[in-house]
Amino acid sequence: MTMIKETMANEKKYGLMSDVKVARKITNLTSYSVLFFFSALILFPILWIISTSLKNEEDLFSLPPQIIPENPTLHAFKQVWIDHPFLAYFRNSLIVVSAATFISVTFSAFAAYGLSRFRFRGHGTFMAFLLASQLFPSIMLLIPFYKIYMTFGLINTHAALIITYVSFTIPFCTWMMRGYFDGISKDLDLAAQIDGAGRFRIFRSVILPLSWPGLAATTIYSFISGWNEYIFALVLTQDEEMKTVPVGIGQLVGEYRIDWAQLMAASLYALIPLTIIFIFFNRYFISGLSAGAVKE
Amino acid sequence: MKSAFKKRESRSGYFFTLPTLLIVFSLIIYPLGYAIFISMQRTNLISEWKFVGARYYAELLTDAEFINSLKISLIFAFFVVVGNFVVGLLLAVILNQNLKFATTFKIILMLPWLLPEVVVALIWKWLFNPTYGLINYILNTVGLIDSDVSWFDSSTSALAGVIFVATWKGYPIVMIMMLAGMKNIPSERYEAAAIDGATRIQQFRHITLPGLRPIFLVTCILETAWWFKHFTVIWLMTSGGPAGATKVVSISIYQQAFGDFNFGKAAAESVIILTILLAASYFYSRAIRNDND
Repeated sequence: MTMIKETMANEKKYGLMSDVKVARKITNLTSYSVLFFFSALILFPILWIISTSLKNEEDLFSLPPQIIPENPTLHAFKQVWIDHPFLAYFRNSLIVVSAATFISVTFSAFAAYGLSRFRFRGHGTFMAFLLASQLFPSIMLLIPFYKIYMTFGLINTHAALIITYVSFTIPFCTWMMRGYFDGISKDLDLAAQIDGAGRFRIFRSVILPLSWPGLAATTIYSFISGWNEYIFALVLTQDEEMKTVPVGIGQLVGEYRIDWAQLMAASLYALIPLTIIFIFFNRYFISGLSAGAVKE
Repeated sequence: MKSAFKKRESRSGYFFTLPTLLIVFSLIIYPLGYAIFISMQRTNLISEWKFVGARYYAELLTDAEFINSLKISLIFAFFVVVGNFVVGLLLAVILNQNLKFATTFKIILMLPWLLPEVVVALIWKWLFNPTYGLINYILNTVGLIDSDVSWFDSSTSALAGVIFVATWKGYPIVMIMMLAGMKNIPSERYEAAAIDGATRIQQFRHITLPGLRPIFLVTCILETAWWFKHFTVIWLMTSGGPAGATKVVSISIYQQAFGDFNFGKAAAESVIILTILLAASYFYSRAIRNDND
């Protein structure tokens, strides 16, 4: 009796297995087709950026469009530095974004540790506010910021943009970091406390060294947000010498004739710092973000 | 004894949190309050300051042009968020199966997130160029169109175009969030379901989706807010045209403030948007909570 039951169960199991195998092959095929389709949709414009940047003026407007440039040239990559103050744009972007990222990550790590380890009055309100602050139309802050910077004579300064970018990224960074710290066992704090370490020392020497993925994720988030920001930089800087890279690239269009090759060359240059940051920190990114973002 | 401990705990909490609290207060709460103050003034921010009370609010709520730009923002945000979730969730589910080369695909599929909005907007503007753009050339070659289409001269295709580009740029963050959420669903649940003979689709419906609910809610709120107030891609591709067909509220505010120097009215517009977004997020969380009961 039990034997029969067993064979029936086995039959059912193995019959099912082979069905599952066929089904899996079909779904895998579908999966890869979907992945290839979307990857093509992503890579096609990116390859077009590269192709356009390598064209000379004639080939840019040749018909039909040349997918692979017939006379590839690096002219645009050189000329864009000469025709436009991109050196200044890059310097400004690097200063502003590095400073803002450093400030945001430092302060949000402190605050996140406080929020993760201690309960105090206003704790819940502050947490809710951090999330809610993402709802404020950034454009809503544009007008008061503009007025306040005007009053303090900060229009056309790095300080104005640094302050602005810190205000954008600090809430989300704090929120992400808190999730990350929550994932680190509180027993570690307790053990260090028993050994006589103060709260600040525990934070600096025990918790922080364990938090690289979280710090890396917030650094990437903060750097990319600042590096790509457009409208505040557009409004808050008016001197050519003070503009940032996105504003500089955007300006190439405002002119009478658009030099698409230079525009694409500048875009590729703008990607260099992002790529470096991404390569360095990518390993940590998804794990850091998931730890921080999944928790509420 | 216990209360002394609690007091010290709470003091340490303030010690770590206070600097950020001060930053947030002076950089977000104070300017927000200031924006509300400005919204009740007729002002050029320099010499003219005249209190007008709620006049701009009353004007805006009956202003057909403003209502229309709210409508366009709503349509834009709706389609972009839905598009981001459909594409992002689909790709996350596939990438989560740990197929071969999944990491390579993941990096490629994350690229749009890395690209500056300015670059994304301009490359697509170039691709959509009626005469020299690659898109018309391809569609012509395949035979889908027989003359060049001016994508951004018709109001429907202009709006569809910016929605497409915004989705192209925006889906990776949803994909990443969903992937992160899926990592937190215990694999035993899938194993148990597989033994019971559940198909992939059934597993997705009954395990993956419920497991993703908390992060789904947060992402949905953030996405709606981000795209409802979006500016850069649309501004660079269409400047709100043709004839206001893509004039979302952010563009309306920008033009009101820095084109017409009507800062009070622009601030009033932004306060109205904030109210709408807060209300929307409230209803979102209510809806999901009811769903859970």
